Amino acid sequence: MKATIKSSPVIALKDVSKLYGFGDATTVALDEISLEIEQGEFVAVMGPSGSGKSTLMNVIGLLDRPTQGTYMLANRSVARLRPNQRAKLRRDRIGFIFQSFSLLPRMNVLENVALPLAYRGVLPTRRLKRASIMLEQVGLSEREYYKPRQLSGGQIQRVAIARALINDPSIIIADEPTGNLDSNNSRIVMELLSEVHKAGNTILLVTHNPELTRYANRVVYMHDGSIVHDERTPIGEVPKLARRMMSLFPRKTEEDDLAGVSALMQAIPDKPTDIKPKTKTNRRKKRATKPMKRSTS
Amino acid sequence: MLGNNLKMALAALRSSRGRSVLTMFGVIVGVVSVVTTVSLGQGIKQQVVGQINRLGSDLITVRPGSIVTRDNKGNITKINLSSAYGLNSGSLLPSDLGVIQKTPGVSLAVPIDLITSGIKANDQEYNGNAIIGTNEGLPDILKQRIAFGSFFSQADATQDVVVIGQNVALQMFQENAPIGMTLSIRGQDFVVRGVFDKFNSSPLPFGPDFNNAIYVPFQAGQAATGGTGQLVQVLVRPTNANATAKTISSLNDQLYAAHGQQNDFTVLKQDENLSVTSDILNLFTGFVAAIASISLLVGGIGIINIMFVAVTERTREIGIRKALGATNRQILNQFLIEASVLSLVGGIIGIILSFVIEGLLILLTNLQPVINWQIVLIAAGVALAVGIVFGITPAVKAARKDPIDALRYE
Repeated sequence: MKATIKSSPVIALKDVSKLYGFGDATTVALDEISLEIEQGEFVAVMGPSGSGKSTLMNVIGLLDRPTQGTYMLANRSVARLRPNQRAKLRRDRIGFIFQSFSLLPRMNVLENVALPLAYRGVLPTRRLKRASIMLEQVGLSEREYYKPRQLSGGQIQRVAIARALINDPSIIIADEPTGNLDSNNSRIVMELLSEVHKAGNTILLVTHNPELTRYANRVVYMHDGSIVHDERTPIGEVPKLARRMMSLFPRKTEEDDLAGVSALMQAIPDKPTDIKPKTKTNRRKKRATKPMKRSTS
Repeated sequence: MLGNNLKMALAALRSSRGRSVLTMFGVIVGVVSVVTTVSLGQGIKQQVVGQINRLGSDLITVRPGSIVTRDNKGNITKINLSSAYGLNSGSLLPSDLGVIQKTPGVSLAVPIDLITSGIKANDQEYNGNAIIGTNEGLPDILKQRIAFGSFFSQADATQDVVVIGQNVALQMFQENAPIGMTLSIRGQDFVVRGVFDKFNSSPLPFGPDFNNAIYVPFQAGQAATGGTGQLVQVLVRPTNANATAKTISSLNDQLYAAHGQQNDFTVLKQDENLSVTSDILNLFTGFVAAIASISLLVGGIGIINIMFVAVTERTREIGIRKALGATNRQILNQFLIEASVLSLVGGIIGIILSFVIEGLLILLTNLQPVINWQIVLIAAGVALAVGIVFGITPAVKAARKDPIDALRYE
């Protein structure tokens, strides 16, 4: 399954491990992972909660340092970089799209998109002009002066995509960008990411949802800090494995979600069932903790 | 980047307006108290210095005690505060007046003798009015006009006559010109000869309020109180204004001889008198301002507190900014500028408020506070410094946040 393209990979991880804690309490978040991502790939990373997806994203996104192993970003080893150099590399090479609350609430949309340029020292008029062009590309020209709270979830994610693209990064890391969106908005955001990919960008997408792998041309499955399967798939198809893989591994969240839903149904009999996954988990936590407190007191 | 940071800081402060105003309040109070005390001190200094200047640069002051220490060239090296307050008076005696008057180059010597006694007028007892024993040269040397009647002459030296300040006339006699009325000092009746025009303020440093004083001929006053007076000071005007230095050295020699080769007196030029006075006033002002600046410290603690809250509240924002490529330095600057803006805006409001208070003080009291541009500049600078000093710890905390933890925070 190794890449056969001649050009050197944008991202090359070799035997990267990440450990947390000391002694008996040590947990292995990443277990000797080797991964190469070529320019122009759209890689979907799947796996259950706690499988190390987020840690992998943090390492690739230069937010975290691996305990062991080498990481080459655009042919450059990043192991010995100081925090400031890492920040600058992050600014120039990596675009982040987070699941939620990814815009700064006090700035308008245009300023949010221009922020990475501000940290680069680009003059205000120039950076706002470029941000405006970026917003036009994601189809939000008429929302330039809106504040984030005036936008829908889908629009917020489109702004986040514009911001991730503004420094023309080597790689875009999207950590469950549609996790908080309904199916219609999800589709719009994913179509946009797909266009970004077609324009030649490299994208790393973390997702729980097997359906989203249809936009990717490579799917990586993780479990317990290791990559258990890595396959190339034609764009537009959901690999059979994707659905199967997700059911093979015990999905903590799904079980918990189901338990949460039944608890919810018992507590509130007439509650409608079309609640978004995120909200479900939150309510479950609240429901789970409250009765416990009561019983102990 | 600075402009951007400023804009962001203002937006952040606007978004939590109530909290920002409350935090600023500490700085505002601090700045107002410091500026007001300093301006009051400046006002008093200007009044006193103005009065001293009005007396003319050739005026020589002889005071008891050794007030200053001089080097070989006669320049003042040290001011002895306890002497300057007049704590060791008594070393300048009435006999010294004769010595001074006989010194070559002296055209006029006027004694100032403070007599302690109550006063009776129209069977009413008055306390707290200064009784000044002096001679006929006082109006001349103080350059002060007599509003009604006349000052006593040399011939009246032993006569029981008084000249009174304007306030005394109104207080004791309920009229502007109580000429010919009598008041009594220790049972001895004195006839009012004249009333001084209103003094703008005390012409002597730390002297009595001249508008509330009663002026008696030196000898008559001594006779009434039955004591040998102790002179608080002797004001001397030289014959030739250009030969002041020479007159001073003659005075020093004569008094030195008369005091049995002891330096228990001080002869001051007017500019020295000025520097002694303004030094003492500066010391006082500085002392009070230092106490007032404690409130600035409290304001600073308010800032440090609110910035810690802001950093914690905006942990997620810090995480996003770091993910977008903000360096630690850029995060630090952002929060430091925010704290500085908070403090500086508070300082500016404080300065504006100080001007309002200055206006009210001038309107409602007889104080004359002076706010000059130095005070304004220093106050603004100190407010800014408070913001930076107290903003640095929260800003460092923000800058050092781990981006992963920060991003996870909600």
